[in-house]
Amino acid sequence: MLIPIHVESHDSSSKRSLPPQLAQFGADEIVLIELQGALEVEGDSRGQFVGKLRVDATTVSPMSFQKSASLLIGHHLLEGKLVNLPKPLAVLHRSATGRPNNQDAPTDDMLIDDDIHGPRKADPPSWAVMAIVKRKMVFSNRPMPMVGKIANRYSGCKTREDVGSIVICNYIVCRRRASLRFMLTFF
Amino acid sequence: MEEYDLTFSFNPSSDTGAFKLMALPPELCKLIESTGDGECLSLNIKGQSEEDAVLCTLDKTYTIRSVVLSNSVLVVTPPAVGAAADRQNGEDVVVIRDQLNEILELVPSVPRLHRLNGLLRGREYDEGHEDEDEDEEDVSSDAENARPRKRQKFSYEDARETLQASDIELHEGLRARRVLVLDGELRPIAPSHLNTILELLLNYLVSLSLPHDAADIKELASALEDDHDIKKSVSTQVMGWFGQVSDGKWKMDVDDVVKGVGVGILRTYKDEPIAQDDFLGKWRKTVGDTFEARVSLNLLSGNYLSNPSYLTEPPTHMLTYFPSSSLPVDPATRFTDLFLTRARWKAEEISPFLADIVVNSKERDKLLLKYARAITDTEGIWYTARAKYNG
Repeated sequence: MLIPIHVESHDSSSKRSLPPQLAQFGADEIVLIELQGALEVEGDSRGQFVGKLRVDATTVSPMSFQKSASLLIGHHLLEGKLVNLPKPLAVLHRSATGRPNNQDAPTDDMLIDDDIHGPRKADPPSWAVMAIVKRKMVFSNRPMPMVGKIANRYSGCKTREDVGSIVICNYIVCRRRASLRFMLTFF
Repeated sequence: MEEYDLTFSFNPSSDTGAFKLMALPPELCKLIESTGDGECLSLNIKGQSEEDAVLCTLDKTYTIRSVVLSNSVLVVTPPAVGAAADRQNGEDVVVIRDQLNEILELVPSVPRLHRLNGLLRGREYDEGHEDEDEDEEDVSSDAENARPRKRQKFSYEDARETLQASDIELHEGLRARRVLVLDGELRPIAPSHLNTILELLLNYLVSLSLPHDAADIKELASALEDDHDIKKSVSTQVMGWFGQVSDGKWKMDVDDVVKGVGVGILRTYKDEPIAQDDFLGKWRKTVGDTFEARVSLNLLSGNYLSNPSYLTEPPTHMLTYFPSSSLPVDPATRFTDLFLTRARWKAEEISPFLADIVVNSKERDKLLLKYARAITDTEGIWYTARAKYNG
């Protein structure tokens, strides 16, 4: 089996870019945010509001890594900072075109071909390098609970119902667990 | 102070699982960043579904390892063009496209061409196979026999798809294994047949008085075809393995040819050793006067074992054919095999037999540390098996 990874040349004209303030924390079109634990949501997460992300412009200076950010989720405030990655990360994205093309082509040849080769051939995923990211935004501390006035100031006009169902859970201090075999079927 | 609304994806079904993070080694990062407009970089993930995945560039192979993080990494992008309209409060919206808990790491590895040996078993091309095309036509008229025959074909494209190696490494691997590509099918050449061709080539270079650094390929190939029924497609590929082909001229790699002939002679002494001097004499005679001076045992490193024999006076060295290509690929079993063959090895003796399973000498030393015990005496460093009691 052969799974191609496409590398597009870097013309950002067709892609939507992040606002420059935010792009400083990652690449033009993507930012990686690292949290301890995981974000969990009850019910449908489609388009669900998570929280307010603030980038502190006042401490930004090109010579230092004092750039900071904060994330307010419900009544929890997380303090984040910019961290340079030890190794650049390629963000791979599964091409949306790879799959439908094959399925939406109901020519006879195609069907027969699929029958012979089974599901393996019918679904050749194809990946593309979306961006190369050299920095990330890390929220490494436990969230601080916000109450009273401050909470109101941070959360702005958002109502409680809007944010109540999202929980940050599972705090574990260790960062890395193990290096495991990565089987081809995982792609 | 800039403020953004962070939301989950508007399209979770297509976004979840659609992102992966891959840590890039510096050389690969440079390669991707230097890809200019319109250029196409070829990166492929290869293998069978039950194998470990590898990433192949044009000339390198990396094993993919998964590093599990207890932290989660959110992939945040601007909203897609249509979805942004859902929120019209004028604030900037950024979208969590996916939540990831692993990073893929790339570890340089040797190309995994070892499966070739099994895949190509029974497909050898030998003397007398020249008339094969006609056989095949006969068979294909019989519909029932034609099918299994067809399936047996193993083409270059098949190899590219199934083997975990980059294109250049695959090409080199096929060359090193002396595999012919005949009508797109891979056929390893029978060693004895290869030897015949090499000896014939050396003879004809002399008898046609062609210069060995710019021999006319057509002339050589037709001489071999006319006199010995060796197909042009075969002889030209053989010339390609043992030298450079350009503008219809063959620049012979003398050492390679001499080595090829040497291995061919040595191959018959797998079980019964031959005295070093006898072997060198035979070898020199076969390559002829012109190239006699190039004969040297160093060329054959990794292919023979040398043992002193004290039956004669002065003691002579006896050579046995012992190719590293026939040893197991897995380091542990290879070391077991090596130490069964010999209880102790000098560093310079053992390293040729490890060369094909390691990327560089650093990795070789790591393996030696792990699987062997070093003992120093007056003669230098010896390597012996690490544990003898493991049954």
